[in-house]
Amino acid sequence: MLFTQFYFWAFFALVFALFALIVERPRQSRSKSKVESRLHLRNVYLLFVSWFFYYKTSGLFLLILAFVTLSDWIIAKNLSPRCSTDGHWQSDRAELFTHPREGEKAPPRSKRDFSLLVLSVVIDLGLLAYFKYAYFFTNMINDLFGTGFRVFDIFAYIGNGFSEAGRFSVDTIVLPVGISFYIFQVISYTADVYRRRIQPVKNILDFGFYVSFFPQLVAGPIVRAEEFIPQLYKPYRLSRRAFGIAVFWILNGLAKKIIMSDYLAVNLIDRVFDNPLLFSGFENLFALFAYSLQVYADFSGYTDIAIGVAMLMGFYLPMNFNSPYKSQSPQEFWRRWHMSLGRWLKTYLYIPLGGNRRIGFGTYFWLSLIAFVSAALTGWWWQILVPFGVFIAGVWVWDHWIGKNASVERRKLLYANLNSFITQVLGGLWHGASWNFIIWGGINGIGMIVEKIWRGMNWHVRMACISLLTGGLWLAVYYTNLPAWRLFAVWASAIWIGTTIRYIWWLVTPYSGAVLQRSGLTAKRSYSNAVTALGKAWAVIQTFTFITFTRLFFRSSSNLDPATANEVAWATAKNMVNQIGGAWNNAIIPDFLWEYRWVVAMFVAGMVIHWLPTNWKRRYRLAFSAMPLWLMVIAVCVAIVVIYQFVSAEMQPFIYFQF
Amino acid sequence: MKPYKVLIFIVCCFASLAALCVVLPGRIAVGDKELRWPTLAEVFEEKESAKSLESLDSLETLETTEPQDTAISEGQDTIAPKPKPPIPKVPVDSVTDSRMFLAAFYASLAESSDRVVRVLHYGDSQIEEDRMSQQIREKLQALYGGQGCGLMPLAQTIPNKTVHQQLRMNGRFVQPAQGPRRYLVYGPKRDQREDGMYGVMGQVTMMNDSLVKGSEEVTAVCTPLIPTAQYTRWKVFADTSIHYTFAGDTVFLSGHGAVYGLSQESDKGVIVDNIPMRGCLGLVFSKMDGTQLSSFYRDQHVKLIIMQFGGNAIPFNENPGTISGIVKGLREQVQYVQSCAPEASILFIGPSDMLTQEEGEWISYPMVSYMDRLLRKMALEENIAYFSLFRWMGGAGSMKRWQEIGLAGSDGVHFTRAGARKAGNAVAEWIIEGIKN
Repeated sequence: MLFTQFYFWAFFALVFALFALIVERPRQSRSKSKVESRLHLRNVYLLFVSWFFYYKTSGLFLLILAFVTLSDWIIAKNLSPRCSTDGHWQSDRAELFTHPREGEKAPPRSKRDFSLLVLSVVIDLGLLAYFKYAYFFTNMINDLFGTGFRVFDIFAYIGNGFSEAGRFSVDTIVLPVGISFYIFQVISYTADVYRRRIQPVKNILDFGFYVSFFPQLVAGPIVRAEEFIPQLYKPYRLSRRAFGIAVFWILNGLAKKIIMSDYLAVNLIDRVFDNPLLFSGFENLFALFAYSLQVYADFSGYTDIAIGVAMLMGFYLPMNFNSPYKSQSPQEFWRRWHMSLGRWLKTYLYIPLGGNRRIGFGTYFWLSLIAFVSAALTGWWWQILVPFGVFIAGVWVWDHWIGKNASVERRKLLYANLNSFITQVLGGLWHGASWNFIIWGGINGIGMIVEKIWRGMNWHVRMACISLLTGGLWLAVYYTNLPAWRLFAVWASAIWIGTTIRYIWWLVTPYSGAVLQRSGLTAKRSYSNAVTALGKAWAVIQTFTFITFTRLFFRSSSNLDPATANEVAWATAKNMVNQIGGAWNNAIIPDFLWEYRWVVAMFVAGMVIHWLPTNWKRRYRLAFSAMPLWLMVIAVCVAIVVIYQFVSAEMQPFIYFQF
Repeated sequence: MKPYKVLIFIVCCFASLAALCVVLPGRIAVGDKELRWPTLAEVFEEKESAKSLESLDSLETLETTEPQDTAISEGQDTIAPKPKPPIPKVPVDSVTDSRMFLAAFYASLAESSDRVVRVLHYGDSQIEEDRMSQQIREKLQALYGGQGCGLMPLAQTIPNKTVHQQLRMNGRFVQPAQGPRRYLVYGPKRDQREDGMYGVMGQVTMMNDSLVKGSEEVTAVCTPLIPTAQYTRWKVFADTSIHYTFAGDTVFLSGHGAVYGLSQESDKGVIVDNIPMRGCLGLVFSKMDGTQLSSFYRDQHVKLIIMQFGGNAIPFNENPGTISGIVKGLREQVQYVQSCAPEASILFIGPSDMLTQEEGEWISYPMVSYMDRLLRKMALEENIAYFSLFRWMGGAGSMKRWQEIGLAGSDGVHFTRAGARKAGNAVAEWIIEGIKN
């Protein structure tokens, strides 16, 4: 059951009808206990509705969801409760989910608590690893030891014991929908209880509702317990404006998903990524940029709908995307893209690793593991492990000896870079179980580090570095003429031109400033604003381009085992680079733009809307929410009719421009 | 806002949209476009993700598709669902095993221990990168000997997964597009030549300084990417004015003239050449010089010519008359090739199942089935073998299934590498089975 299907909306309408009966505000005369029982009834109702939704989406995998709900609830409940400074257990506290009180000092956790936390994480990550990474690990072990192991679905085997033989296939492991999301949610809950950020939830049904709430169950956002659980105990409340905004988010999400994402994908992107060699370099490049928009529109569209649907039921989910392609640096991009995952990784991985404060066992462990896995997957044992060993030894020596007296900023930079690199790589692995996702995460991590170092350089050094890099790349082009070098050389040249302009501006700024000052303050300000805006636009384009090229490694068919996924992903990336860097054909660009005019128009429109100033977007959202209800009904109908035109549009037929 | 008000809002939205379903008749003409909206019946009908797979048995029976009702409704500004021409019945002989027309090829295999038996595999984009040909080559070479991957153009613009090629001009590596000027019989007008001298691959590379500077001296480095394509020896098919030498996997060419292809091949056994013609309907053979083709087919012992076309006709034609016309054109091409290669057998491979989207659902193009039947009929009448890729896949809707299991691309038209491997193996086994029978 998908948000873009009629059946979901029919289901939602029915669910809401009963929901409205349950949550209809009780009269003032009603007692507090009756209000609470209504809330409880609402939560239980939504829990079972969510489970029904999940059953219709994933069938018997509902049992996995129920199992993690039960296990984390029991473990968290058995963690020592919070105690106050006077040493009394705080069983009588009215508010269940708050940060520690002022002056309140949490006593250290016992070994038993730590063991329980570890048990919870092992169960949760074990399940995730089983379903998501079984092929990946089997493949790796087979590569390493030359064995011929195959995956075996133990759950299917057990299931066959309870039903007719052969009902479930034991040879394949199917990934339960949304498991990556709800596993992260339950981990965050248990970790927050352990860290005494929240109290354990008393009622398992309430906890089950938090884990399973259907709008965000399948594709997020990943809601942390402390953000959501307090809402379980609040009565239904939806202002008129919030209602309008909720309807807007739903329409916005549907339009993004169907118009921007599906239409672009079906009519151009999928066919180019499936067979890059059928298309010229320009078509490949266009499809790559369009894919950036598609991924964003698809994912953010889905979460927009989830936010809107939840809001109609009086629940508020966190924002998940904040116009990410407006980012001026890779670091900023990751603060705007899939924000709930970013926050999760920061809280439960980056900071425990040491953040920018330290590097410890965890950092060395993960770096070693990443190097080991990379070596195992590529077969380049010595080429990877030797330089890596030298690097790790260098870091250790610097941290414990040479760099002891280095400035705090330099130490922070090193720590933050190493820990954020690990976070990015593991974040990549979360997205999919094949090495192309590891590479994707690694490139993002390196991009963030390079950008940070670049910003720390003075302009003379920047200019020297980019000139050397560009010159080196053109030399490589001259001697090898390989498409990849040509591509990088052109890209570096673009950066070189931008850097040169900014460098010259930086050199002449004191002079131009003095001249402008004589000609009047207003002129100076407007001139300066224009330059700043140009600088921002340049940074946005560079960041968008970088993120787009990382997506060469992001796309992989989820229905393939890792070995095939790796082969397909690598062939796709290689062929696309070959075409972009080698088979560029200017003569066909006008033909392509004309024949694919609707696809191009959708892409341009999507980017323009994306880059509209935030204030404008806020204004039209508010204007929509302020519409009279009858007008809003008409607006909804018009929007749905327009969206339907894209659902039912005829496919753009195949056109070969390159022979 | 009270929940019941939200509920009323939702109900109003549903009611309005349902009213539209009742009031609007499906499609409304807006200028030259049409506004689509489903009827209530369409909303509630259980849509299948793809039409169910036809069984091979049912495919053997005659097509009985009834003409569709194409009546236009009375409303002036509305139109009924797009009228589609009825698909005529095509009686097909399902009994004859068309492999009997490969007898000449089968007989020639007996000589493979003494000399080359050549198989040319022409096709559209479905066979690019040596797809399908590779499996046919591997299977036949395993049984009848032979080494090398066969013909390749001098400027390999479409990479090949069997052999990686790099070009050097004036000592510098160049991209194929920057290399010597190419002419293609299946390319756009600007890339065609009038004399029809394209060589057997339908493409010719001109080593000529006045066309591309530095193109009088070209070096091609061709690295085998798979063990079965290991270098054995080189042949260069070119004008006599072209001089060449080779060392290992590198061929050095100099001179002024046409190069029709390079080939890595042994002097005995089976050689299978992959000749993809992107975007081609298969109607180009008669544009190629017959004398040149004849002499190649004769001198190089071409004993089997595989023609795999038809797919490019499907997305652009909804009219059975047009499809029938294309098949008529293909018949003429088959006759032309037969006249150029009277000693060779011909195998025609029809199009695979192909998908398009209608009202948001993936469905098979109705013309695939029709074309497949016409092609089989044509093949039997022309005494050539026919392999129905469409029927072998499972008929209409099978491409959807192939997509789901990673054998076909999301365009619903092309196979993935795994899919091409499967199809190539099937064709090879079908041919070999004919030998045993």
